[in-house]
Amino acid sequence: MKSKRFEALAQRPVNKDGFVKEWAEVGLIAMDSPNDPIPSIKINGGKVTELDGKARKDFDMLDIFIADYAINLDNAEKVMAMDSLELARKLVDINVSRKEILKLTLSMTPAKIVEVVGKMNVLEMMMAATKMRARKIPSNQCHVTNLKDNMIQIAADAAEAAIRGFDEQETTVGIVRYAPFNALGILIGSQVGRPGVLTQCAVEEATELVLGMRGFTAYAETVSVYGTEPVFMDGDDTPWSKSFLASCYASRGLKMRFTSGTGSEVQMGYAEGKSMLYLEARCQFVTKGAGVQGTQNGSVSCVGVPAGVPGGIRAILAENLIGMMLDLECASSNDQTFTHSDLRRVARTLMQFVPGTDYICSGYSSTPNYDNMFAGSNWDAEDYDDWNIIQRDLKVDGGLKPVSEQDVVKVRNKAAKAIQALFRELELPEITDNEVEAATYAHGSKDMPDRNVVEDLKAAEELISKGITGVDIVKALYKAGFEDVAESVFKMLKQRVAGDYLHTSAILDKDFKVISAVNYANDYAGPQTGYQMSKERWAEISNIQNAVSPEDF
Amino acid sequence: MDQEKLLKQLIEEVMKNMSKESIAADDTCKASQKIDASSYPLGEKIPDQLKSPTGKVLSEMTLEKLIKGELGPNDMRISPETLEMQAQVAESISRDAFARNLRRASELIKVPDDRLLEIYNALRPYRSTKKELYDIADELENKYGCKINSSFIRESADVYEIRGRLKKD
Amino acid sequence: MAMDEKLIKKVIEEVLKEMKLNNDKPEVKTSSIADETGNMTLTEVGTFAQGKAPNEVVIGLAAAFGKHQTKTIIGIPHDQVLKEVIAGIEEEGMNYRIVRIYRTSDVAFVSHDSAKLSGSGIGIGIQSKGTTVIHQKDLFPLSNLELFSQAPLIDLATYRQIGKNAAKYAKGESPAPVPVKNDQMARPKYQAIAALLHIKETQYVDSDKKPQEIKVEFK
Repeated sequence: MKSKRFEALAQRPVNKDGFVKEWAEVGLIAMDSPNDPIPSIKINGGKVTELDGKARKDFDMLDIFIADYAINLDNAEKVMAMDSLELARKLVDINVSRKEILKLTLSMTPAKIVEVVGKMNVLEMMMAATKMRARKIPSNQCHVTNLKDNMIQIAADAAEAAIRGFDEQETTVGIVRYAPFNALGILIGSQVGRPGVLTQCAVEEATELVLGMRGFTAYAETVSVYGTEPVFMDGDDTPWSKSFLASCYASRGLKMRFTSGTGSEVQMGYAEGKSMLYLEARCQFVTKGAGVQGTQNGSVSCVGVPAGVPGGIRAILAENLIGMMLDLECASSNDQTFTHSDLRRVARTLMQFVPGTDYICSGYSSTPNYDNMFAGSNWDAEDYDDWNIIQRDLKVDGGLKPVSEQDVVKVRNKAAKAIQALFRELELPEITDNEVEAATYAHGSKDMPDRNVVEDLKAAEELISKGITGVDIVKALYKAGFEDVAESVFKMLKQRVAGDYLHTSAILDKDFKVISAVNYANDYAGPQTGYQMSKERWAEISNIQNAVSPEDF
Repeated sequence: MDQEKLLKQLIEEVMKNMSKESIAADDTCKASQKIDASSYPLGEKIPDQLKSPTGKVLSEMTLEKLIKGELGPNDMRISPETLEMQAQVAESISRDAFARNLRRASELIKVPDDRLLEIYNALRPYRSTKKELYDIADELENKYGCKINSSFIRESADVYEIRGRLKKD
Repeated sequence: MAMDEKLIKKVIEEVLKEMKLNNDKPEVKTSSIADETGNMTLTEVGTFAQGKAPNEVVIGLAAAFGKHQTKTIIGIPHDQVLKEVIAGIEEEGMNYRIVRIYRTSDVAFVSHDSAKLSGSGIGIGIQSKGTTVIHQKDLFPLSNLELFSQAPLIDLATYRQIGKNAAKYAKGESPAPVPVKNDQMARPKYQAIAALLHIKETQYVDSDKKPQEIKVEFK
């Protein structure tokens, strides 16, 4: 006989997920691998001679870089001698300020910082994140992509996402050669929705830099680093090339952050038997050493790996926290799909949603998930109302707000018309009125007519080879009668002259005023301190359209 | 948003401007006067002191000028002086590693886009011999005056050699 | 699941086709398909020579393909994968050569190395778990012409299309890219397993071993 209970359980979504048992020798273990090093540091004449149990002569490339660039040595021997449990307690103690904590954490080694967070449960990590997040005001980021690489739909979805509250937006491609068009789509659409939204296009590193230099994007994020040397090589970079790349961005006045996450090393086959969290800590130190202002971490695209082993979701919160402990902007993932279970995906997100991070999702899918070209997000367009209501339930600012259908249709239409006009001015393949109409009312790319892909790809290539820049885009928009959008793109270009938004956790408000961890540093010190939701913001979150009021009866 | 904070900032701003006026006489404000986080955001508080590498002043950059063709892509760029100020802002709040990145960046402003991309690609694993990397370091130092970057690249070449990441065959 | 149905249909078609081609002992094939083991011999014939012929596409196999592993993450036998890719190339009137890349198991580099070795500058890289890239020698390694990153979604028809498109690029044409597929539930189901398969592939990487030319014989 078969148990009917077990039959019912077997049908539950969670049982479609893939789980594996720990296998420490190859690094299939979230935290505390028996092969993780014991924290240590030896400094001789201002130079690190031993790092986490390894003598300098045995250093690999990452050890060398971390030892020479990533650790504040002044304080290091003292901090390393402190008890990790005591350090963990300071992290959750509201009477120890963020500033005081940074003096300690910036002098730790990777193994030490992992040992410290290893002393904490998820609730304690969330308390620490509340205090250690760099920017006072939490925010959110979305993905804007689709299966057809349709740039009109991208523009419309970006516009809608902007009025829904996302401060950063990221696109990518199905077909790499579409990148310039997708970048244009998200730039134009976002500025139609809400001036000052920052946009990026995730592609291969050098291509991504070209798009930024040209003024097609405002920042970059897909600049990946890895926790072991062989995987770093398979990522086609070194800590030195990545640091140089970081400086290239800053030299063009462009904001950027690195990306890394637990599970990538084991996913790419070279974890050297270390735990996922220890390797991710090394990534965070490389990021710090490169002088980059921030990180996107939280397993990101490898989330299926830590989520498949015990304690993996805890490790993901721990890695976010490590980024914050290194004074980095943290875009805390909550992006890519990792489960069939709605319960699991909410539980995973609460870890960042409740304390608030610089970007709770670094890729909430602004489209239905079938259009999400990051292989699906943990949250998608069909979850908008759920997200809004969870904000309302918990009185938490998750960055979004309820919007009306009327407003959404209006901005989608304007965005589609703006990109239509831009394409006409730049003599790119025609965008028809039919396509504008479809994008205005579309839910996803199934509602969009097909385009001539070969013709588009050819034109996209020419756009780059002809040397079109942001200045040409501004002029074309202006000429086409979209003066306000032209003005926004122009103001975005002006940001790179001032460089204020290069700083830690910077976003722009609708008037292009910078909000960062310099002028809005997190000052949480217990109840009623740090970020407090204003009355207006609470009203915005509270007033969902489907709530009935007592007067209705 | 946060009224108290806003008020505090406004007062700070006014005071800053007052003190600035007194020293505005020597208009080469560059590195002589140390900047800190209280001047931030520079683009909002001291836009008249920020110039593009072509000498255009931020506060005078307008859409109309761009449309008229008085502003081009080369004007919409950050200058070494501005990045130095931003590095000082970062240092004033103990973000030293970030400040170092901005200083490396400020040296690279002069290097043309295409060359910058080539150098980045040359720094990737297995792309260059030790000599090729040293030559790039010399070029950056001699042609563009990039001191920090040239020693950074020489260092990378030495590390790549030890770790077997130079060009093979 | 639709894919499985399609797969079975494809396999049956394949068998029927072969039966028509050579009328000997189809029952052997039926049984070999049943247990889904590989049905080809791959022989290494020495270091792969740099290609000169502009009419060739180089197919790059990752270290364990068809040797230590015999099917993709969704169980498509490697011999059928290879057969479809080759058929796609030949349909376009182009030639193929096969190389095994040892220095890395990363599909970007396997395909980019193959492209660099190819006389046409076009290469295809295939990992044991099925992930495939069409590459061109002048692109950045981590860029590509077409990327099929979600191995669980690649069926035999797609492998044939990949071969066809690679051949078209080699001829200097601009084919419409193979329609991109996306299934957000592939990751929850397969990612941890994919990691396991990739670790097992990577165990056969030999960073000093040169690319080896492979002769294939289908049984």
